[in-house]
Amino acid sequence: MDNILTIEGVSKSYTGHKALDNVSLAIPRGSIYGLLGPNGAGKTTLIRVINRITIPDSGRVLLDGKPITVDDIYHIGYMPEERGLYKKMRVGDQAIFFARLKGMSKADAAKRLHEWFERLGLSEWWGRKVEDLSKGMAQKVQFISTVVHEPKLLIFDEPFSGFDPINANLLKEEIMGLRDRGATVIFSTHNMASVEEICDHITLINKSRNILSGSVEEIRRAAGGNTFTVVFSGDEQQLRTLLGGRVTILGESSGLIGGYTQLKIHIPSDDDIRGVIAALNDNCRLRSFQEVMPSMNDIFIRAVEGRL
Amino acid sequence: MNKTMLIVMREFSERVRKKSFIITTLLMPLLMIGLMLAPSLIMLYGKGSAKRVVVVDRSGLVAGALTSGDELLFETLEGMSVAEACTTYDDESDIFAILAIDDDVMTNPRAVKLITNSSSSITIEEAITSQIENIVEREKLKAYDIEDLDRIMAEVDTHIDLETVKNNGTGDLDSMESTSSGVNYILGLVLGMLLYMIIIIYGQMVMTSVIEEKNSRVIDVMVSSCSPFQIMMGKIAGVALVAVTQIAIWALLIIGASKFVVPAVFPTEVAATSTGMMSAMIGTFSDAGYITMLFGYMLLFILGGFLFYASMFAASGSSVDSVQDAQQFNTIIMLPIILGIIVMMQVFNDPNSDMVFWFSIIPFTSPVVMMARIPFDIPAWEVILSLVILYASFVATVWIAAKIYRVGIFMHGKKPSFKELWQWIKMK
Repeated sequence: MDNILTIEGVSKSYTGHKALDNVSLAIPRGSIYGLLGPNGAGKTTLIRVINRITIPDSGRVLLDGKPITVDDIYHIGYMPEERGLYKKMRVGDQAIFFARLKGMSKADAAKRLHEWFERLGLSEWWGRKVEDLSKGMAQKVQFISTVVHEPKLLIFDEPFSGFDPINANLLKEEIMGLRDRGATVIFSTHNMASVEEICDHITLINKSRNILSGSVEEIRRAAGGNTFTVVFSGDEQQLRTLLGGRVTILGESSGLIGGYTQLKIHIPSDDDIRGVIAALNDNCRLRSFQEVMPSMNDIFIRAVEGRL
Repeated sequence: MNKTMLIVMREFSERVRKKSFIITTLLMPLLMIGLMLAPSLIMLYGKGSAKRVVVVDRSGLVAGALTSGDELLFETLEGMSVAEACTTYDDESDIFAILAIDDDVMTNPRAVKLITNSSSSITIEEAITSQIENIVEREKLKAYDIEDLDRIMAEVDTHIDLETVKNNGTGDLDSMESTSSGVNYILGLVLGMLLYMIIIIYGQMVMTSVIEEKNSRVIDVMVSSCSPFQIMMGKIAGVALVAVTQIAIWALLIIGASKFVVPAVFPTEVAATSTGMMSAMIGTFSDAGYITMLFGYMLLFILGGFLFYASMFAASGSSVDSVQDAQQFNTIIMLPIILGIIVMMQVFNDPNSDMVFWFSIIPFTSPVVMMARIPFDIPAWEVILSLVILYASFVATVWIAAKIYRVGIFMHGKKPSFKELWQWIKMK
């Protein structure tokens, strides 16, 4: 696979604790890559290693197969977790300033920024000071400043924190749009729902280590592990006795509308799935039988707890 | 456009558009000229209405000889005791005070009392005592029975108007420039203090701006576009440009004032009749060429001194999270400037002493001390040497400051110790 960015055995220690412990990962070109992990896992440190704010103790970062240089960094779009805008400066001036620092001409920057402002509903704020903006609007400005020079590699640290669901959605669509136009996007988050929706690949970082990497599809399937929900009506007690030993019952909710009961079960053996369905069918009025794909949230928690 | 230039221009345009900048730029020269000329102006135009003083003179010697002037009007009361006068002329009357003189005024220094209805002032008291002293002295002299006393007194009355000129070696006294140590003293003091203030104010401006960028994490965005060194230099240069702009505007306003306003406020006949300090002061301020020269030097020293110190202030700002935390470092940075102010006071005793010379060459104190020396017409090579050393040392402080800066801006939390700062400097 064509990887735009490769991280090889990166470690970084601060006095008293290890922020990154031999982390390796590869980011496919044109993907949206999620760096997941609990607070303090080392996500931000990893991002800062990638854009050379932090120099790792060992390991290296390769961009297009070559060690990343300062000049490369100047072409990356980077949005830090704690948003950085000059409070007293006018929004438009500021966006133009950052765009020009990234090498755009003044006219070009103004033109494209106006397009972006229009698109994200910020036009009327162009001449206002940043301190007049709400937090969400300031974040949009920051987002625009990050992407306006159309870098081929974008790094967002916790891009969705502080956004309401509507604006978070807007941002997701913009991020997917950037990917569709050819950019590679790396973002860190501890919000698993956003990962399911937009990430192609993820890496799970916990306690400074990479504990799980891969495409979202594969990871969910692998972690899925024969878990099903069964909705039925009939004698639940009898059913439990019947299935005892063949399945593990993970959860139950009874008294659904229409007198149905729902069980969440785990079938250890693939070969037994049909047998279980047959047994259910014979002993109760089976309404549905469905495989449960684990949510990223489940996977995250199980991985962090070492149960994966 | 070059990235450093972009940062310089942003820093500059954001600052000069602030209201506070516009206000201080316009008000400062007015304040400066006002402060320097205020005493003369008050003398010229600031006279209050004359105060009426009734005199109860039991000796019969003084009252007749008192002369009323613009400030005090003496009225002699006949046949009234002090107690009666006090009840007659109390708060209700428009009499300022009652001057009571006992009959033993020739021998008793405490024989004179001023009974006021409102508060008195030192000038009034001095005016009254000096008049009475003169009268009593004359009365005493009369006792020696000298002939033609008045004429003799008028003849011995002496006044010296000393003119100091700078020896130019030609022996032609008329071609020598007149200098006045009084004016030099005031000019030196004002220039030295101004330099001190500008270095500290603008230096701290750099520092707070660095802290602001660090805290708002703008710096994180910036370093993904340009190097920490570019950011630091851009900021220092941007603030320097603001300082230069401000001083240039001040210079224009003050030179304009010295060309048009001073001659207008002080009509030539006033300038001609006034003597000593005041005439020298008016003379200096009417000399636009001299003022231009002073501002030229000042600009060079302010720029050099600012650059020298601003880089240290930038390093201080980068290593802390708040202005409070920066205080400890600032105190150390400012110590040499304050030492400079102390040494500057010595300049006025002897502008060419060894100590003053060296302090005006060593870069830490040189801007302030040299600026105070310049009005005393010191050799040009000393000024140039001082400037060269100052600008060369600026390179060194920037080099060290940049090393602290590039680490400091990413360090949050605990304030670093000096040991840590030293490690940052050594870090490759």
